[in-house]
Amino acid sequence: MDRNKLVKWLKAPTKMGHKYSLHVVYFCTGCGIIEIPPVITSRWDAERFGVIPVATPRQANLFLITGYVSVKTLKAIIRTYEQMPEPKFTVGFGSCPINGGMYWDSYNTIKHLDKYIPVDGWIAGCMPRPEAIFVAVTHLWTLIDKGMADGYKKYREKYKYYRANQEQLYGKMDWPPLFPIEDKDEPNPS
Amino acid sequence: MSLQLILIIAFSGAFITYLLGKLSHRVRDYFAVLVSCALVVIIALFYGKSVGKTFYLVFLDLPLFLELNTLSWFFAITIAVMGVLSIIFSLSYIKGKERTDFYYLMMLLVNASMLGIVLSGDLVSFYIFWEIMSWSTFLLISYNRGPALAAGMKYIIMSVIGSAAMLIGILSLYTTCGTLIISEIAVNITSASSGYILFILISFVIGFGIKSAIVPLHTWLPYAHSEAPSPFSAVLSGILIKMGTYGFLLIMYVVIGLKAFLELGSGLLNFHYILCWLGAITIVIPTFIALLQNDAKKLLAWHSIGQIGYIILGISFGMSLSVAGGIFHIFNHATFKALLFLTVGAVEYRTNGVRDLNSLGGLIKKMPVVFIGALVGAFGLIGIPLTNGFVSKWLIYKSLILQGQPFLAFFALIGTWGTILSLYKFLHNIFLGQLPEKYKNIKKAPFSMQFPIIIFSLIIILFGILPGIPLRVVNTIVTSFGFESLNVNLWGIASETGALNTVNIFAAIIVAGIIVWLIFKAGRKAVSVAQDDNYAAGAYVPPDKYHYTVDFYNPLYRMISPFLRDFVDKFYTKLAGWTRNLCSGVRRLYTGDVGNYVIYIVLFLALLIFIQLNWSIW
Amino acid sequence: MNIIGIVLFPPIAFVIGIFFIGLSRRIMARIQWRYGPPIIQPIIDIIKLFSQRSVSHGIIFGLGIILSLAGSIVVVLFLPLGKICPISNSGGLLVIFYLMLLMPLGAALSGGEAANPNTSIGISRKLILALGYEVPLLLILLAVMTYYKTISIIEIVTIQQSMGWSLVSLPLLLSGIAYLFILPAIMGVRPFELIKAPQEISSGPIVEYGGNFLALTTIEHALSLFIGIALFVNLFLGGGGIGSISLQLESLLTSAGLGCIVSFLTGIVFFIKMLVVFVIVILINAVYPRLRVEQAIKYLWKWPTLFAFIGLVIVLIIRR
Repeated sequence: MDRNKLVKWLKAPTKMGHKYSLHVVYFCTGCGIIEIPPVITSRWDAERFGVIPVATPRQANLFLITGYVSVKTLKAIIRTYEQMPEPKFTVGFGSCPINGGMYWDSYNTIKHLDKYIPVDGWIAGCMPRPEAIFVAVTHLWTLIDKGMADGYKKYREKYKYYRANQEQLYGKMDWPPLFPIEDKDEPNPS
Repeated sequence: MSLQLILIIAFSGAFITYLLGKLSHRVRDYFAVLVSCALVVIIALFYGKSVGKTFYLVFLDLPLFLELNTLSWFFAITIAVMGVLSIIFSLSYIKGKERTDFYYLMMLLVNASMLGIVLSGDLVSFYIFWEIMSWSTFLLISYNRGPALAAGMKYIIMSVIGSAAMLIGILSLYTTCGTLIISEIAVNITSASSGYILFILISFVIGFGIKSAIVPLHTWLPYAHSEAPSPFSAVLSGILIKMGTYGFLLIMYVVIGLKAFLELGSGLLNFHYILCWLGAITIVIPTFIALLQNDAKKLLAWHSIGQIGYIILGISFGMSLSVAGGIFHIFNHATFKALLFLTVGAVEYRTNGVRDLNSLGGLIKKMPVVFIGALVGAFGLIGIPLTNGFVSKWLIYKSLILQGQPFLAFFALIGTWGTILSLYKFLHNIFLGQLPEKYKNIKKAPFSMQFPIIIFSLIIILFGILPGIPLRVVNTIVTSFGFESLNVNLWGIASETGALNTVNIFAAIIVAGIIVWLIFKAGRKAVSVAQDDNYAAGAYVPPDKYHYTVDFYNPLYRMISPFLRDFVDKFYTKLAGWTRNLCSGVRRLYTGDVGNYVIYIVLFLALLIFIQLNWSIW
Repeated sequence: MNIIGIVLFPPIAFVIGIFFIGLSRRIMARIQWRYGPPIIQPIIDIIKLFSQRSVSHGIIFGLGIILSLAGSIVVVLFLPLGKICPISNSGGLLVIFYLMLLMPLGAALSGGEAANPNTSIGISRKLILALGYEVPLLLILLAVMTYYKTISIIEIVTIQQSMGWSLVSLPLLLSGIAYLFILPAIMGVRPFELIKAPQEISSGPIVEYGGNFLALTTIEHALSLFIGIALFVNLFLGGGGIGSISLQLESLLTSAGLGCIVSFLTGIVFFIKMLVVFVIVILINAVYPRLRVEQAIKYLWKWPTLFAFIGLVIVLIIRR
């Protein structure tokens, strides 16, 4: 077997680990959180997929942004996202993170979450049913298999622009940049 | 090479240091360290030899003698090592304070008088050196003025009461045996009745018990140890209170003798059994009172009382294993308690005198060597395997369990858990947790403070892995008392009923540690983050508000603090208050008016005449 | 034989511990009328955790967990499994008791370095709970040691094979019942699950652990489950033998030269006993809520301490 295949075979257990053991940060962003407790309790059992909620972002891989994102909450979301260990995946849940949803003309909500943190997938609906979460999780497995769930790599490479967007919104941030920023000229990704 | 040489060097070294201090400070520092090192070297040269009575002085028509046997050598080497390391520590601790010449004089004088106590061969020189030690300790406890004065007063009053009780014992021994030389008293006292032996024992136990702080007599210790300067607290907790235990060993096993001591009393009320129970109570209650303290040195001082309980329990139990464990614990406790007090001293030195546990934190990043010293000292005090504390405690527990005394063993074992809780609070509130803003720029401890800390840590770990080295000396002492010998080899004790092999445990822990470290490296390397990149539920960590120190064991405090007030202290204070009221009542007789005094004289004469007329006594 | 035992014991203990963790999640799920994760879910979790890149707050942050895991591996080497005990002659039950202190201390040191008040509160809860269950546990251990007049755990196991299990022998019955009462506290399951408490103190001491550190913590949890139950089975349930029948069978097989089959069979019996005890504890875990620290201590210092104390007095009376 050639070298690529050997590397793929050696990395297969880690891919299996990322797929079948997704720990969710139990972060209640907006109104969508009401759909999460039925998902993790007995009726629609998420634990058989390996998905359980954990209390701190340091132990989690998956970040579900459920519901609308106000300007105040976005600070906590960025902080929590930066505290998660890599590799990490983000899923926007509901139509509010996608394009503003019901609050499309409000002064206080974020319409395009993708400018501030990288998002791997979206679930449409207002609110989506619990079975939609399971479809999203299995779709995320396919993405991980193909290596396309690389939001965290994008965050690392293009951090300069994410940070610039965050600073445009808040002015000076409370915490220093997560990755060192050099001044190099690159075309804007989004 | 004679025993008088040791005492001459020690005492004259003290006075010459004082005089040299008037000339130049640097010369005085070097000379003090030189004297202490010379003492260590000379005493080390006496290893294995025992010297009989050597006459050295005549005092009040009584010849005074010095004597050296293995027990004295064991204590002397501990005193000397403790002395030299605390003097090295004080080089930077005491610099810049006032009256430093007086400080060095007193430190060396305490050292010298303790050496005199363990080398003395008759009871008069024992008493003289005991008194010199007591009042030089008092002067040194009151060195920082202020609350230290009250602490020193409490100490000296109780110490004088103890010395008075001891004097009663010495005088009655003189009248009964006609001599004051210890080896001759041991021969003469076998013919005394058991009631007399009990009286002698009680008077000496009160004297030595006050000095070594057994439970009803312990109230001076927390105040004295916390207000004294830190290097001297190390000497106090390390070896000075063990002088009381030296006295116990002398009285119980050298003077009275093994058989007579163990058979004193009847049935369940054996005298040594009561002492064991006193020791057991001394282990439990002060260790849990230490949980409630907010001052780092008071916490360690209450622990000193607790560990003395272990020593008393081991010594009075009367089996060779437990006596060996008790004697070994004397040396062990000296090492780790001195180490812990020295670490508190280093922290105090760098933070300008702060030793309040509620306001320190996170100092591991600034003072790593001090933290490692505190960690090794804490592990030794708890009794983790691979430290010497474990070996001595294991000996005591094994003899207690195999002799069928599970309740005493229970008290001893529960003391370990109290130790763990309070020492974790000590370590956490000083070294772990968040670093406050005002201590962000403190420097590391100076080398003269790091040196004794490193030496003590090495001693603790070395004697934990290879306990055979000190256990051989302890074995000699135990057989000289008349117990059976233990089967000591380099790594522990071998016996049919469960052996101890510390090298096995050490090898197992090292191998397991290496394997786990390799597993740890199998994962991905972790990123180092700053202290304020911490989980705070999405918010930014507020500076100086994220440290949990106050009321560290709050649920436990609510449950056990009603039972842990210091009843004995309140009783003594009340007793002192009654005495003062009585004396102020008597003082009212002195009105200062001559007319009143004339009436007193006339009334007294009338009373005498009345008695003579009625009952014709004279 | 000893070297093989030393090398094989920690992996066997780890596998049994991981199996127990997976089994506990599955049983809890079934009690709650749902399917649960597959039984090998903890292994998948550990694999994922080893490939995560987490943060560290200092040197002691990693060294503390390494110390705690090393301590639990050494304790495993001291406990006999069936007939094999790798390190046997180095101090007995007292050394086991003192080495078990390394586990909470290592976690406490590493958690203290994390500089988070949640860890400090979690560790203070852990130490207070440990003080709570140590009082009856010490009385029970002292009763066992006094009754059998030894401090070596192998001798206790051997004596039980000829004299019957401790749990059903009259003097130690009360001590055994008291031990069953405090077993959930030793293992950290409900109603004494106050250390991790995700909803109250955000996972307590493990709040800042990710990646490597959390994987080592999970391994250490598996080993501590093994240690807690193995100690109970060795002291009270005869550890590896089923009475006098097994003695005759063993002597038969050993004289036939099949010593390893004897070890294997005793290992299987030991595992079955551990499984029964563990399932009972998990069933208690499924039903009870979580107590507060002071409620936990009030309970632990009331009835189990009373039973253990009376048990110790009975042992002293009978022994005289």
